[in-house]
Amino acid sequence: MSYFDLKTDLSAEDIALKDQVHKFARDVMRPVAKQFDGMKADEVVAPDSPLWPFLKKVYELGYHKALMPEYYGGLGLNPLQISLVFEELGWGSFGMSVGMTVLCFPFYCACLANQEHLIESYVKPFCECTDASIRGCWAITEPDHGSDYVATAEDYFRSPKMRGNTQIRLDGNEWVIDGQKSQWVSGGTIATHALLHAQIDPSLGFGGNGVFVIPLDSPGVTKGPALRKIGQRDLNQGEIFFDGVRVPKDSIIVEPDYYVPMMDIILAAANLCMANWAIGLARASFEEAFNYCKERVQGGRPLIEHHSIKQRLFTMFSRVETCRVVGRAAANLNFNISPPFVEYSLWAKTQNTQMAYENAHDAIQILGGYGLTEEYLTEKLFRDARATLIEDGNNEMLAAHGGHILAETYPRPPIDF
Amino acid sequence: MAIFKDVPMVKEIFGDLWGKMIKDTEFGPKIKEGNISVLFIINDPNIVMYVDANGPIFDAEAEAKTALVTLKMDGDTVHKFWLRKVNVPKALALRQIRAKGPVGTILQLLPLLKPGQEIYPEYCKKYNLPMDV
Repeated sequence: MSYFDLKTDLSAEDIALKDQVHKFARDVMRPVAKQFDGMKADEVVAPDSPLWPFLKKVYELGYHKALMPEYYGGLGLNPLQISLVFEELGWGSFGMSVGMTVLCFPFYCACLANQEHLIESYVKPFCECTDASIRGCWAITEPDHGSDYVATAEDYFRSPKMRGNTQIRLDGNEWVIDGQKSQWVSGGTIATHALLHAQIDPSLGFGGNGVFVIPLDSPGVTKGPALRKIGQRDLNQGEIFFDGVRVPKDSIIVEPDYYVPMMDIILAAANLCMANWAIGLARASFEEAFNYCKERVQGGRPLIEHHSIKQRLFTMFSRVETCRVVGRAAANLNFNISPPFVEYSLWAKTQNTQMAYENAHDAIQILGGYGLTEEYLTEKLFRDARATLIEDGNNEMLAAHGGHILAETYPRPPIDF
Repeated sequence: MAIFKDVPMVKEIFGDLWGKMIKDTEFGPKIKEGNISVLFIINDPNIVMYVDANGPIFDAEAEAKTALVTLKMDGDTVHKFWLRKVNVPKALALRQIRAKGPVGTILQLLPLLKPGQEIYPEYCKKYNLPMDV
């Protein structure tokens, strides 16, 4: 279902882009997402899985490089276009949107590092790839560390008690990696490359961490099983283990002396993605409920003619519109300034995922018993939405982080240039 | 003490450097093709510089322009950047460089500046600027 856009001056290019991605979300993502949702996690990544032709289609259309700069062969989208595209992808499937975007994470961050060897070895081949043979993941969370990995403002962040599960040390001209990443690494079991967060100096806690871009075909890398979870079953996640893995010295892109502010920059970008996919998820729930209410008859008349249903649908509609305003505003700010104002990404992520969850919840309530069954999309949307409240930092932790930033910076002066 | 001794020196160096980059390297056609314009706000010495495919302009004339990308940093960071001695992500993270404009454009601007970084040491020699910074 199309929607009226409050931004009435979208360009012809913007509208064409939005329509193209919507068609992909409707005709390709949703059917495949439904298939994956009913499969076991290991079946989703099996050689004969529909995952592989799906990914090939993603690469042929260039959606894997939506965030990459045009100069290297990326789509070169502006902040509004990123928001438009991500809303449609989120409407198609939140989990698959995460999976499609994390593909670029090591390569996007390699662009930020702006080192020629990384551009030549990783960025250009990724952007040129059309067969889905180069796939990234974001290897950050660990069995002992979830949202505390992004709690850079907490006093414990730099405490030696924050002992990472993934240690890395320099040995001559190589880094040596030992340890493991958790089962929540998105794309973990199918990735060929990782954006790896690892601890260099444990005496500094996570303030002694670094970020690396590494290939995952090195000796000593093994993968765990694909994770089965409550929602977003169409997003591959799983552990990565490192046993004396050696990578070149120049694999590092963020060193400990600026790891903390860079962690905030990475978090700001990741949270913007979440916020904009959540618009699509909120809209999908609203549309499922709205369409059902026009058809379903109760008490001798369609549900949509019942007063309480009208109120509830309007509340759902309001959440969608609010999500869109919030997601676009935060993207327009933080995809347009460097370094970003992190609290606005945190605001957008926490608010939009909460509103998307409430819409998914309300959709089930409106559909009643049918909403609980696999016959309708609502139950999948609800399970997917539940995961978003935890993904990329649970919302309570992100809110606390945002509160800390406010305590330090509020009110921010206007941007002085 | 600041590396650039005064504003006229900055204008002379970068007026010539940008001109050469636009005329003699892929930078010119690329920024024309991408409709890219950059406003540099530099402290110590204080100078504003605007660059697009037509070349650089300075001061009030530059300030009157609306650029796609604005970069703000001090003069010493400018010097180190052109000598390839600035870790750009680190400088951004630590707010030594602040940028306004689409992140994608900024990311693609960095490699476009490489031809200028290659010839910048010649200016250092000519103007006796330190290269071991």
